[in-house]
Amino acid sequence: MKRPTNATVQLGAALTALALLGLAAPAAAQELRIGASISLTGTYAKPGKYTQEGYLLCEKDINDKGGLLGKKVKFVVYDDKSEPPTAIKLYEKLITEDKVELVMGPYSSPVTNAASTVSEKYKKLMMASLAATTSIWERGYKYLFMTISPAEVYLEGLVELAVERGLKTIAVINEDTLFSKAAASGTIELAKKKGMQVVFHEAYPKGTTDFTPILIKIKSLNPDVIAAGSYFDDAVATTRQMKELDINPKMYGVTVGGDLPEFYQLLGKTAEFVYGSSQWESHLPYPGIKEFVESYTKMWNREPAYHAAAAYGACQVFAEAIKRANSIDSDKLREELLKLKMTTAFGDYAVDERGFQIAHKMVLHQWQNGKKVTVWPANVADGKPAFPTPPWNAR
Amino acid sequence: MRPAAIALPVLALVAVLPAVLSGYHVSFMIQVFMWIALAGSWNIISGFTGYVSFGHVAFFGIGTYTAALLITKAGWHWLPAGLAGCVPAMMLALVIGYPCLRLKGPYFAISMLGLNEVVRALVSYFEGFTGGGAGISLPPIEAIVPVYYAMAGVAFAVTLTTYLILNSRFGLRLLSIREDEIAAEAMGMNTARLKLYAFLLSAAFPGIVGGFYAWYASHVEPLSVFPLITTITMIIMCLFGGSGTVLGPVIGAVLLSVLQELVWARFLFVHQALFGALIVAVVLIMPRGILGILRQYYPLPRSI
Amino acid sequence: MQVHITGTMVLQVVVSGLLVGGLYALVALGLSLVFGVMRVINVAHGTFLMLGAYVTFWLFDLYGLNPFLSILVSVPVLFAVGAVLQRLLVFRVVNAPELSSLLLTFGISIVLANMAMLAWTADYRSVEFLTGSFVIGQIAVSKPRLISFVTALVITALAFVFLHKTRTGKAIRATSQHREVAQVCGINVGRIDLVTFGLGAGLAAAGGSLVSVMFAVYPEMGQVYVFKSFLVIVLGGAGNYPGAFFGGLLLGVVEGLASLFLTAQLTEVVAYILLVLVLLLRPQGLLGGRI
Repeated sequence: MKRPTNATVQLGAALTALALLGLAAPAAAQELRIGASISLTGTYAKPGKYTQEGYLLCEKDINDKGGLLGKKVKFVVYDDKSEPPTAIKLYEKLITEDKVELVMGPYSSPVTNAASTVSEKYKKLMMASLAATTSIWERGYKYLFMTISPAEVYLEGLVELAVERGLKTIAVINEDTLFSKAAASGTIELAKKKGMQVVFHEAYPKGTTDFTPILIKIKSLNPDVIAAGSYFDDAVATTRQMKELDINPKMYGVTVGGDLPEFYQLLGKTAEFVYGSSQWESHLPYPGIKEFVESYTKMWNREPAYHAAAAYGACQVFAEAIKRANSIDSDKLREELLKLKMTTAFGDYAVDERGFQIAHKMVLHQWQNGKKVTVWPANVADGKPAFPTPPWNAR
Repeated sequence: MRPAAIALPVLALVAVLPAVLSGYHVSFMIQVFMWIALAGSWNIISGFTGYVSFGHVAFFGIGTYTAALLITKAGWHWLPAGLAGCVPAMMLALVIGYPCLRLKGPYFAISMLGLNEVVRALVSYFEGFTGGGAGISLPPIEAIVPVYYAMAGVAFAVTLTTYLILNSRFGLRLLSIREDEIAAEAMGMNTARLKLYAFLLSAAFPGIVGGFYAWYASHVEPLSVFPLITTITMIIMCLFGGSGTVLGPVIGAVLLSVLQELVWARFLFVHQALFGALIVAVVLIMPRGILGILRQYYPLPRSI
Repeated sequence: MQVHITGTMVLQVVVSGLLVGGLYALVALGLSLVFGVMRVINVAHGTFLMLGAYVTFWLFDLYGLNPFLSILVSVPVLFAVGAVLQRLLVFRVVNAPELSSLLLTFGISIVLANMAMLAWTADYRSVEFLTGSFVIGQIAVSKPRLISFVTALVITALAFVFLHKTRTGKAIRATSQHREVAQVCGINVGRIDLVTFGLGAGLAAAGGSLVSVMFAVYPEMGQVYVFKSFLVIVLGGAGNYPGAFFGGLLLGVVEGLASLFLTAQLTEVVAYILLVLVLLLRPQGLLGGRI
């Protein structure tokens, strides 16, 4: 049982620092404070913690190299409890009361969606590190920038590999929530563009446990590929029930959860041959990635997950833009971030005119013999996909 | 003491506060007004008639979607869009209330329990219209002070309505339903119709609150506007202050909002448990709320 | 592409629905007992289920204990938890207006869920013990569901034997039928309340143990089962304990068919409409119980 005393101490320190700053406002000029709300408690507590750790490691790295614009960088983090309305209040606080110099994004699409309404209102540029939904960038906002790949391309690798191997039909299911819906619709578009036939698409409510009716409908259509826009709990139920109903697609991929080690822990052998997608893996050939993984492991005694890498990467991109603009003015930063193209330990960064991420690539992996093998794209793969997925009774 | 003597200074204070408060505190006040209105509307049906509406957040949620759709698809201004939130809310109350209000206590509560889940499921289902699980994004709000006044207005309207009901024959009839419905019927009251009126009224206000909330939050989605915890919170706030009274929901909403602010900022990991403990304490120790306790020691006018 | 629904598919869904329904029945029985005897709407019932699931998970994870055997542990543990809560808190809202019991049990449930999250984090767990299915003709009968169904059946049968053949069991039924008369007959209703609440929690725990083998375990997992349990009680009739069993089966089948013929998103709506219809047209439940 890991108790995040680190987080509480950091938060306590941040709050105390803030209180002191409130009494001696002029002193704030020595620091470049970056405000953010993060899900330290609630449903997103774990990835939220990773996000915070990514920010903190970035803060350390920047300060070790002399700070930014001649000042020390300090993250000011509050707990939004994984709740969008709470994040709204907190960003109001950060911007109007604490008057932080800069803001970065929280964890997850729904929270970022809500929080960004505040930053946009005050024309405070927000570097969104962990939001993956296109609709957030279709609101015409000017001061919001994306770091990770959007939900729509999560299963791009699955579709690509399927088409390469001449597979024709695909069935798509998704949980009826913001991210999963986007992932599903993106997958469907990609599949259609590549000439595949989408034979089935259904959404199920969050919390569904019995997938028999949905799966039996899919079984009757016998698709080559099944793609699921899912989280953990539904992926567990769906995969097990596919085994029970003896549904044997040639490829089966899931969005979230398929990349975390817990997935295999939860399902054991049933997880074999499942494809999952990931924003980042620690063995990818990105600049500075080895140092990042080393420092992170030293600080927190475990290897980083993609959320930390994304937070770190976003912070690095942000810092670079601040350096180039030589200012914290939102319009100047916006100019820089729009034209900036760089690769961090997290991967490539480049955005279109909406601030929407177009360069970063997802990777696809497959569980083979209890190990996660990266199988796509070819230039970073460390193994070949085990294709086709053998039927359940042949394993 | 005439109620206007208390009300006018309070209203004046409310009116000038935005000039002196920071954005964060104005946000906080908006949420306080929201809770006053929600707790107060729950009070109108459950405080007066004793029929426990356990799915009340459904009316709030419907209000948010109504406003969101009117603003994004029909180009309405947020103020009329928010006010329009009461219409579908009242329609839902009519459709559900008409059959369900004839159920006995526990069964009415059970039928209301599922209401918010079902409305949420329906909203998700008609995704072509409502955006399904992804929700609807509204244009970013420019200034929150107008919302402050709008919410304050609703909070005042609910409180005023409660005051008028409590001091009217309608109110007396509702209270008698709570005390002994069979006797009330025997006296010739059309309890079914009375309950329905109260229910409709109690649904209209959350609809409006939801309507303004949609504009304030700039985003509505099923999971965040139909949660059970919102219903529980409005119930607890009403009970904490004193249900069946005019000022009870106001006191409860204000005190608990402040308490949540202070507590939650300090206890990162156990704030849910603390809220649960508070609920237990309210139910066991102070079921009549603060006003109930005060009434034991001071002669308070019945009208508050 | 339009899915052509065959008879086999319907049969498959019905079979799976029945198996899952057995689980619903088990869980609902506990809630029905509590409601019948004490007129308490126990919203914390789902939390007891969750705790039972965690007991099973940890016993499996740490000691490799067969999850079906771990029921022998989860039931007594939760019986004790339920009894303690009853003795300390719930006894105050016995026969009280429904709002009190709703709120009190809701408060208890969020305290327990928060504590579970603190202790075990919100990470998803599951017991990977039994997977796959038996194939009978064209129908796949899920192994874990079948064993859960049989276990649920056995436990329910044991519960019925308890209720009908033992003194305490008969006292429980008597109290549930008419509390004052039971008191007059010398039954210590306070003690009966204690035993019933503990029993209800124990049955929920058994359900949780079974769920852990099939689905994911996490602090909020119990919520969905509470509403389903109420549905079952309404369908079967309050206080009608065999009715709860058939109500559970019926719910499982209705849910499955609704998802098959409509879409998964509408199953809740269908279930709710069913609830309201039954409440309005046949409040004593489809099989006749107390109103």
